[in-house]
Amino acid sequence: MKFRYTLEILAVIAIVVFIAAFLYTSSTMRGAEFAGSDTVGSGLIAELSNTSEENFQPLIPQWEPPSGEIESCLFALQAAIGGILVGGVFGYWIGQKKKP
Amino acid sequence: MHIMEGGLSWQWCLVWWVVALPCLIYGVYQLKKVLAADREALPLLGVTGGFIFILSSLKLPSVTGSCSHPTGTGLSTISFGPWITAVVCAIVLLFQSLFLAHGGLSVLGANIVSMGIAGPVAGYALFRLLRTTSLNVYLSVFLVTALADMFTYITTSLELALAYPAETGGSISSFIMFLGVFALTQIPLAIVEGIVLALVFKYIIALKPDILIRLHIFSEEKIMAARSNI
Repeated sequence: MKFRYTLEILAVIAIVVFIAAFLYTSSTMRGAEFAGSDTVGSGLIAELSNTSEENFQPLIPQWEPPSGEIESCLFALQAAIGGILVGGVFGYWIGQKKKP
Repeated sequence: MHIMEGGLSWQWCLVWWVVALPCLIYGVYQLKKVLAADREALPLLGVTGGFIFILSSLKLPSVTGSCSHPTGTGLSTISFGPWITAVVCAIVLLFQSLFLAHGGLSVLGANIVSMGIAGPVAGYALFRLLRTTSLNVYLSVFLVTALADMFTYITTSLELALAYPAETGGSISSFIMFLGVFALTQIPLAIVEGIVLALVFKYIIALKPDILIRLHIFSEEKIMAARSNI
């Protein structure tokens, strides 16, 4: 019988390497804050345009999540919508297959 | 990561909106056509779109010491092409700009161009090229997904570099600086995303190979080879 789980193993290896790289960076790199790269990018914009970051005001007024908790809640909601779509369809397909 | 609200002047916002809008309109038109022709395309759209929702909500740490999102656009690009992918991305990006203060309404055009159009177009071009070769399905999915992800961030860097040329060296040197921030962080994420989506594609092939053949995404021989191989 042929070995059937090559991709699964590869995915697990990739994720483990990814986590290991993260652990290595977070323990060795000084000043690694793991801020979003857009935060780093905004800093670069401020540097290039010679203005402070506070000067960047939204062009269109924008609602901001009042706290990090609420932000992560909404991010989780987005992921949940995706999860429902993916799980729902896979379930639908499995159901279709069972029918003769 | 997206360009933040206020990150681009209104002139540049307008430019990217002008680029994005025709693509979106064409995407909606194409979407209607595909769904009218084959109702079984809708579940596939649900799966591929669902992965854009999931992956673009994950902020992952990278070796550069900052975090970034994968884009998840690879599967949708392969299955439906870049224009329909742009429509799905626009929905996700609208959600994020309205509720999460990630990106914003004025820079939405620029963000749609990078995540929904430039990345998927690059990925789709590679996909069309790979389809003519004998490369197996999973490797194609991996390469297309990783390229679509990387190219999204290269485009973001380009958009910012055009708007903020450096004092010495102009846009080219600021492009390299932005690449250092965005693209470098993205490399490990793009690789992992490529492998994970290739794995997901395996399950799609296992469950619903006929829809992939009917939509002419991969040839029957390639699908059959993929089913028997891994």
